[in-house]
Amino acid sequence: MSSKGNKAFTKEEELLLQDFSRNVSTKSSALFYGNAFIVSAIPIWLFWRVHALEVSPSLAWFAMVTTASTWLLALAYRNTKFQLKHRVAVRRQDAVAREMARELADDRKMSRKEKDERILWKKNEVADYEATTYSIFYNNALFLTIVILSSFYLLRSFTPTVNYIVSLTVASGLLALLSTGTK
Amino acid sequence: MVTKYTICLLALASAAFAQSCTNPQVEASSFTSLDATVVTQIAYITEFTLKCDNPLPENYALYAEVDGKPLSAARIAENKYQVSWTEEPAKARSGVHEVHILDEEGWASLRRARRADPKATVAPLIAIQLHHPGSYSGPWVNSEVLATAISILVAYTALRNKSKILA
Repeated sequence: MSSKGNKAFTKEEELLLQDFSRNVSTKSSALFYGNAFIVSAIPIWLFWRVHALEVSPSLAWFAMVTTASTWLLALAYRNTKFQLKHRVAVRRQDAVAREMARELADDRKMSRKEKDERILWKKNEVADYEATTYSIFYNNALFLTIVILSSFYLLRSFTPTVNYIVSLTVASGLLALLSTGTK
Repeated sequence: MVTKYTICLLALASAAFAQSCTNPQVEASSFTSLDATVVTQIAYITEFTLKCDNPLPENYALYAEVDGKPLSAARIAENKYQVSWTEEPAKARSGVHEVHILDEEGWASLRRARRADPKATVAPLIAIQLHHPGSYSGPWVNSEVLATAISILVAYTALRNKSKILA
């Protein structure tokens, strides 16, 4: 789906493609994976200190579950961001256009086409940023809530190891699954 | 023979009564459990040193009564006694617990008085005031309940805002 190196597309078309693609930039991807890793690793503390899970025999489980959960959460972030981005773009459209128009009003040398392009680019940037941050917040909030609920109430009678594995896999798996829905 | 025996007993008894403590002075220290999270019973312990004008015999026994509960004071050293009891944490009230200390004579007269009237009281030899400041039985809200409540609130906000954006 990458439009890089394809000369058939104009700059405008590339922007549009980027706007509508599920692909995320490297920077955004790093942000997603970094965040997903931190959030997946946080429950280790909860299970170690609160649920009295022995650390050294569970290191392999920690590594496996954290990796799986990082991957699933990053997937959830990406999908949620994709869902949100268009709606955010629509909501911010007028405000961004107005602001950019005011900023570019003095620049008489700039053609109308270029101004439109700049507005489109800015809109994309704003929507991307807002959707990214909101997606991270949304998924983190739900992930930690599910982990707390399942580890303290639903799986309370299981051993800490089972509790850890099931809680985290279910939480991240559920979020990844929900994020693939259309609504 | 019987009469002689009785007289002898009486003499012994009066000798014992004569040895009761005159002008008692007491120095007491006490302990109560303050942390009810790790115990099933609240312990009350008071230790006191009894000083009398007259010398006391080796086996001078003391009895105690706390809130209508009969107890015996353990002799732990020369003129030093200890009274201890336990209570369920739910029933352990905070505040001052009055420990009435009686000697054998007082104890016997209290028993006698109780037989006629269950609520009867007898002036104790000494009264020790044991202060229990109340025990800690854990926070009002468990940390996991608090964590759950806060996380649900945040998740609810997130869900609501998302549906608002997508609406």
